[in-house]
Amino acid sequence: MPKVMNWQIGREMDYPYEGKRPQSQFAMIIDTNKCISCQTCTVACKTTWTSSRGQEYMFWNNVETKPYGFYPLGWDVNILSRHGVQDISGPVYQGKTLFESAPDGSMVLGYLPEDVDYAHPNISEDDSIGQLAQGAFLQMPHMQWMYYLPRICNHCTYPACLASCPRQSIYKRPEDGIVLIDQERCRGYRECVRGCPYKKPFFNSITRTSEKCVGCYPAVEQGRQTQCTMTCIGKIRLQGFISPPGQENESNPIDYLVRIAKIAKPLYPQFGLEPNVYYIPPIHVPSPFLKQMFGADVELAQQTYRKAADDKQLLAALLLFGASPSILSGFRHQDGQAIGLDKKGEELVRVPFKEPIFVRPGFDEQFQTHRSNAT
Amino acid sequence: MKRMFSTGFLAATLSVMVAGAAQAGAQEAAPESLQALRVSGKGPIVDVGGTIWNQAKAVKVAMQPQVVTMPTNPNAAVKEVTVRSVHNGEWLALLLEWQDYTKSDMVVVDGFSDQVAVEFPVTYKADNPPSPMMGNAGNRVNVLQWRASMQRDLDQGREAKIQDFYPNAPDADLYYTNRLSADAGRPYLGAKGLGNPVSVQSVGPVLDMMAEGFSSLTVRSKQEATGKGIYRDGKWHVTITVPMNPVGKSAPKLEAGQGTIVALAVWDGGGQEVGARKSWSDWVSLTLGK
Repeated sequence: MPKVMNWQIGREMDYPYEGKRPQSQFAMIIDTNKCISCQTCTVACKTTWTSSRGQEYMFWNNVETKPYGFYPLGWDVNILSRHGVQDISGPVYQGKTLFESAPDGSMVLGYLPEDVDYAHPNISEDDSIGQLAQGAFLQMPHMQWMYYLPRICNHCTYPACLASCPRQSIYKRPEDGIVLIDQERCRGYRECVRGCPYKKPFFNSITRTSEKCVGCYPAVEQGRQTQCTMTCIGKIRLQGFISPPGQENESNPIDYLVRIAKIAKPLYPQFGLEPNVYYIPPIHVPSPFLKQMFGADVELAQQTYRKAADDKQLLAALLLFGASPSILSGFRHQDGQAIGLDKKGEELVRVPFKEPIFVRPGFDEQFQTHRSNAT
Repeated sequence: MKRMFSTGFLAATLSVMVAGAAQAGAQEAAPESLQALRVSGKGPIVDVGGTIWNQAKAVKVAMQPQVVTMPTNPNAAVKEVTVRSVHNGEWLALLLEWQDYTKSDMVVVDGFSDQVAVEFPVTYKADNPPSPMMGNAGNRVNVLQWRASMQRDLDQGREAKIQDFYPNAPDADLYYTNRLSADAGRPYLGAKGLGNPVSVQSVGPVLDMMAEGFSSLTVRSKQEATGKGIYRDGKWHVTITVPMNPVGKSAPKLEAGQGTIVALAVWDGGGQEVGARKSWSDWVSLTLGK
């Protein structure tokens, strides 16, 4: 099996295909600290992409409550338990990836969920890990905690769905790294559903083929960010492109946040797929849980996030989340404002570091009326 | 990305395996050959329980687990298929019967369809047969696959709907396709809108396909084969019938009095067998009666 370089685990690993990175790689950053699980992203995705017969149960985008929420049921604990205990302590991963753990006769270690596992997309929503004792109060990190995890397809550099498909019906686009299932070629074997540890390919019982998040490619081709990004009312997402390792561009907000500030972390990097959706970890959650989910240096990301107000460059990058429907290729800050730039370096959007404050008197002289504080 | 199994490697591996299988076969006993009995009549022979099968010789074909290409299926469920064959000068038919205690014809995430397939070399050369595992480059096979799920659609007289799988499921508030013309609605139908043969309602329960090795299986533009399957007494009874003078390309031309070879594959849906997760047979010789 060929060896490919996976920068997220700091080493080479086995993968059934040659390592050839796309010209540009679709990526997304999600700030879990700001997500309120309103599911606007889920509904935007649903109405855009999965409104047909056979797609009723599908959520290419979903938001689940961690640690007890899952869609499909138990997706991550199921694969983690099959994967077994792995050494995730150092910058160079010492354990095995899912490709390296593949049982004889399989490309990747995986499992096929049961049909009923998809029946409860909101299971355990808002459940915390326990109750606070009488008289206790929350400290940082919280003793009792939960957080929301929005999920789409990770458009992995080394997709397990693609590796699993015996018909080679799944391809990774060279122009943007988006991973797609060829709907003319797929025969519904569900090897991709079995192989993807994130369980983001879904089987359609009416078309009898598997379908998955398409990274809103028609929008991305036009330089627009995905539906789930643009519709997010909390502006918690930023979608763009990440540069290949070693070619980081400090002015690209995705490169800056992932590779330079190192504040955004991949989901379960130990699986070895090099997923391209990155999460800013929740700062109130104890790190042992987060280390398993986001990698060994998650504490550093939490510390950096806490100090974001003092770091103008970091603050500027964070303020540009959800600020423009267009994909930002660059950013800078000037005079207390974050500025998002397009591919040519032209200004797309400007966001003030501090929102201006307007004070209105309680009595409006012009309209001769009292104003309440409610609006 | 380039797949790292070269065709050369696979062909070499297969030729060794096939040679090995042939040698092992020679040491044990040559598999019994099939005789397609000449019967009267015209047109496709789909009748599963008809008397025409009474005189046809039954041959038990040994099935083996697919363990050559990934994903493998070392614990394949079906070990043996009983095959009978007849022809009427226009159509050749095979009656395939095997034990399966679970009738599986509903396709959901974890629900797979029972299936059976037969393959013929498109051009049979006794000294250079294709690989029995879906042919090989330059040596094409015609693969005819019957699917219990497609049989179910045909028996019901309509395509599957969501309430077939989840009887209490309501329809969604709005399907865009309810409000759009067929053309405008097509993009919302996924594989169905693209006419993927596994997605659209077919005229018969058999997919007429061609292949030149693993991963190359493709549905023929001309669908000529057909068949019928009945589940009875813990067994599937399936006919697959092909025209002896096919109109389209990539299907064998068969003549009374001549011989060819045929190989089988079976999938146990209840055992989640699908695609490469199957049991398969070596080539069995088939002679068409005069």
